[in-house]
Amino acid sequence: MAAPNCWRCLARPSQRLLAPTSTSSSLAVPVTTATFSTSARLAKKEGGGLSSHVRTGKKLVLGRKKKQDPGKPVLPGERKAFRKRIQLSNDNALEVPGLAQVTAATLVDPAAAGKIVGLPDALIDQLRTVEAFKPTQNWGLFRSPHMLVRQETVDLIKDMTDKVQKKQTVRTVITGERGSGKSILGLQVLSAGLLNKWVVINIPEAQELSTAHTDYSPIPKSEMFSHPTYILKLMQAIYSANKDILSKLQVGLEHIHLPFSVPRSMSLAALANATKEPDFAWPTFHALWQELLLPGRPPIMFNLDGLSHMMRVSDYRNPAFELIHCHDLALLRLFADALGGKTQFPNGAAITGVMTKGNCPKLPSVDMALEQAAAAQAGTEIPARDPFYRKYDDRVFDALKGVSVFNVKGVSKPEARALMEYWAASGVLRMRVDEKNVSEKWTLAGSGVLGEMERASLYVVRL
Amino acid sequence: MSSLRYTVRCLRDIRPTPRPQWHPPAAAATTATATTALPYRPRIHQTARTLSTTASRPADLNNDITKEPPPGWNEFQGAVAATDADADADAGSYPDSSSSSSSSSSSNFGALEAASAVAATPFARAVPVSPSYFSRKPIFNDSYVVVQDLARKYARLPVLPRDKVAPTAWRTKEQYRLAIGEHVKGRDYAECMKLVKRLNQIHPDLMPAEVLAGLAPFKREVNFYLNKPKVLPIDRFGRSHAVGKRKSSIAQAWVVEGTGEVLVNGKPLSDAFGRIHDRESAVWALKSTERIDKYNVWAKVQGGGTTGQAEALTLAIAKALCVHEPALKNPLRRAGCITRDPRKVERKKHGHVKARKMPTWVKR
Repeated sequence: MAAPNCWRCLARPSQRLLAPTSTSSSLAVPVTTATFSTSARLAKKEGGGLSSHVRTGKKLVLGRKKKQDPGKPVLPGERKAFRKRIQLSNDNALEVPGLAQVTAATLVDPAAAGKIVGLPDALIDQLRTVEAFKPTQNWGLFRSPHMLVRQETVDLIKDMTDKVQKKQTVRTVITGERGSGKSILGLQVLSAGLLNKWVVINIPEAQELSTAHTDYSPIPKSEMFSHPTYILKLMQAIYSANKDILSKLQVGLEHIHLPFSVPRSMSLAALANATKEPDFAWPTFHALWQELLLPGRPPIMFNLDGLSHMMRVSDYRNPAFELIHCHDLALLRLFADALGGKTQFPNGAAITGVMTKGNCPKLPSVDMALEQAAAAQAGTEIPARDPFYRKYDDRVFDALKGVSVFNVKGVSKPEARALMEYWAASGVLRMRVDEKNVSEKWTLAGSGVLGEMERASLYVVRL
Repeated sequence: MSSLRYTVRCLRDIRPTPRPQWHPPAAAATTATATTALPYRPRIHQTARTLSTTASRPADLNNDITKEPPPGWNEFQGAVAATDADADADAGSYPDSSSSSSSSSSSNFGALEAASAVAATPFARAVPVSPSYFSRKPIFNDSYVVVQDLARKYARLPVLPRDKVAPTAWRTKEQYRLAIGEHVKGRDYAECMKLVKRLNQIHPDLMPAEVLAGLAPFKREVNFYLNKPKVLPIDRFGRSHAVGKRKSSIAQAWVVEGTGEVLVNGKPLSDAFGRIHDRESAVWALKSTERIDKYNVWAKVQGGGTTGQAEALTLAIAKALCVHEPALKNPLRRAGCITRDPRKVERKKHGHVKARKMPTWVKR
C-alpha cells in the first residue's frame, strides 16, 4: 500500500505529523500509526521490589559509566524517506555564473547542443511536482539544478515538438545503456512539455504500480483494477503542475456517473482537484482524461519511467488469486493504449516511455518488440520472433507497436568537456579540465556514458 | 695502441716463486734472465709452465727407458713451440724490446732445439698430454695459458673501445665450472676473463682465427645478445595485435589509431569492468603514456577474474602500443606494463588447509 508520508520529503515522518505541509494536508490520507501506546508503560517494571539485588544502594560505586542515551528510535519509514530524499541544491557548492536559463527555444536549438543550462525556479517546482527528479541523480552536489543539453536532446525534442504542433502523436521509447542519461532525457522531455504549455502527466516509477506495494481495487463492471491512492496523488501532481493551463479549460462533456455534479462552467483544474476520496479517484481521473482528449485542448505529454516494469505480469492478484497482467491495471492500460497507438489524440500528443536498465526484469517480449520497432524505423528487415520460445506476450507487442525507439548513447567529447567544466566550476571536480583529462574520463566511462563519467569523476566527493 | 701492459699480473707464471730445489740448469738460467732483463717470453716452455713441476724431468733424467710419447704429445708440443716462436718474433720487432732481440732469437732457436730434443727423448714413465695434468685444474690452466700467450702475442693489435665491442655472452664462473667440470677459483677465473675480454676487444677486421679459437672455451654456446626479438607487424588495416597474460587470464588486444574508444569482448569498457580501478588498469598503458585519445582498442579477454583480466589487458595493450611506437617501451616498462607478473595461485599442500594455512590446533 502507499506510504502515508511523502518519501521524497526530507522531514522525519514524526515531525510531519506534528506540522503537516500543504501537500499532505490536501490529501486526506489516514494516519497509520497510533498516537499513543500503552505497551511501553506496561513493560516497565517498578524499581525496588524483590527482584533487585539485596545490596542495591548499600555499596559505594565510583565512576560508573552512565548509559548513553541512544536517542530517538528511528521510526518506520524514516530510513526509506532518507534514502529516497531528493536534494536539489547545495550551499557548499560554488555558484556557476554565466549560464543561461532553459527556455522552450533552447531545447530545440541545434546551437545549444553541448551547453549547460540552468532550470528556472518555476520549472523546478513543476518538475518537482511531477517527480521528474530522481534520488539516484546527483542534484545535491551543485548549487542549483543545471542540465546538459545534448545533441540527442535537441534531436528528440525538435522532432517531438514539430510533430505535436502538427497535431500528430509522437510515441517514443527511450532506451540506452545503464547510466547513459535516459531519465535525464525524460526530464528534458518533460521540461519541453511544461515550457510549451502542454498538459504534462508523469508516472515517475512504473515499478511502484506493478510490484504490489500500492493499494489497488477492482473497478466495478470492468475486468480492470485501479490504484486509488496513487491516482489521487497523480491528480494532485497534474493539478499543481498544469494549474495555469487546466484552469483556463472548461468541462465539455456530461459526467453523470461521477458522484459530484460537474457543471459546464467547471474548469478542468477544479475537476482534477474535485475529489479526495480514493473510491472516486479512477472515475474522476478517467473523466479528466476524456476531457483532455476533446478537440481544441492543448497537446498532452504522457511520460512513464521504468517501462519494462509495466510490460509484465504484475504481482497483484485478482479475487480468484490469479496474477494480474500489468495491462489490466487501469492506469497502466491507459498508458499502454496511448503508447501502442490505440488512443487517438486529436490535439497531438507526446507519449514517452523510458526504459530502465539498472533494475530491469528480463523480458524477451520487450526486447523483441523493440528490436522489431527499431528495424521498422530504420527500414531494415524486421527480425522474426524466436519460433521455439512460447512465452512471448502479445499484449507487449501491441503496446509497443510502431513506436520510435530512441537509443541514448554516451556523450561526445565536447559535451563531456562542457560537463566537466561545469563540475570544475562548481568545485566538485578538482582537476584541470584539459583534453587529456577529458578524454581519459571519457574512455574510462565507456565512451562517455554519463553515469559512469560521474562515477569516475565525482564519487570522491559524494556522500 | 694497446692499453694492456705487460705487467706482472699478466706474467704471473714467470714471477720468481719458491721452487723445488732441484732445477735443470738451463731452465734456471733462462728464468733468471727473464725476470731480470725481459718482462716477457724467453724461456723454455716446459719450465715456463710452472704449473707442472715435473715437466722437464724426463729430459734431465736421461735414462734409457725408451717410450713412445703419448698420442697428441708431438702436436701439442709443436703448437706451443709455434706460439712461443711467433710471440718472440713479434716481440723482437717492437722497438722497446730491441735490447732483448738477440737473446730472444737465440732462445727461440734453443726452444725449437729443445722441442725436437723432447720429441726424441725417451720417457721415464707415462707422461700426460697436458703438462698441467697433475694440477687440480688442467683444462682451465691450459686455456689460461693459451689466453695469456695470445694476449702477449696480439697485445699491439688495434682495439675497439669497450662500448663498441659486440656484446658477447661469456660463461660465468659457475657456468664454466659446470661445463669444464673443474672447481675453478673465482679469483683465477676473474683474472683470466680480464685477458679474455681484452682479447675480445681486438678490432674485428684484424681478429686472428686463433684468438677466436682460444676464446671459445669462455663463451657460452648461444650468444643471446644476438637474439632478435620477433617483430610484431602492423597489418594492412593499421592494427597491431599482441597478447598479455596475468594470473589465469589471457588477453588479446588489437590497437589501432583512433579516438580513445575501447571495446572489450564486444562491450564498452564500462560494461566489461564494473570497478573504475579495473578500467584504469586495463588502459593504463595508454593512460601512463598520455596516448588515451590517440588509439582505439578492440580486445578479447578470457579466463580468470576481473582483476586478472584487466591486468592481462594492460600487458596486451602495452605490447601492441609498442608496435606502433617502439620508443614507448621504456616509459611503459617504468609504468609496469611490460613485465609479465609471474605470480600464480600457489598450490595446496597436504597437511595444510590451503597453500600455507594449517588446520586449527585442537587439544587432543
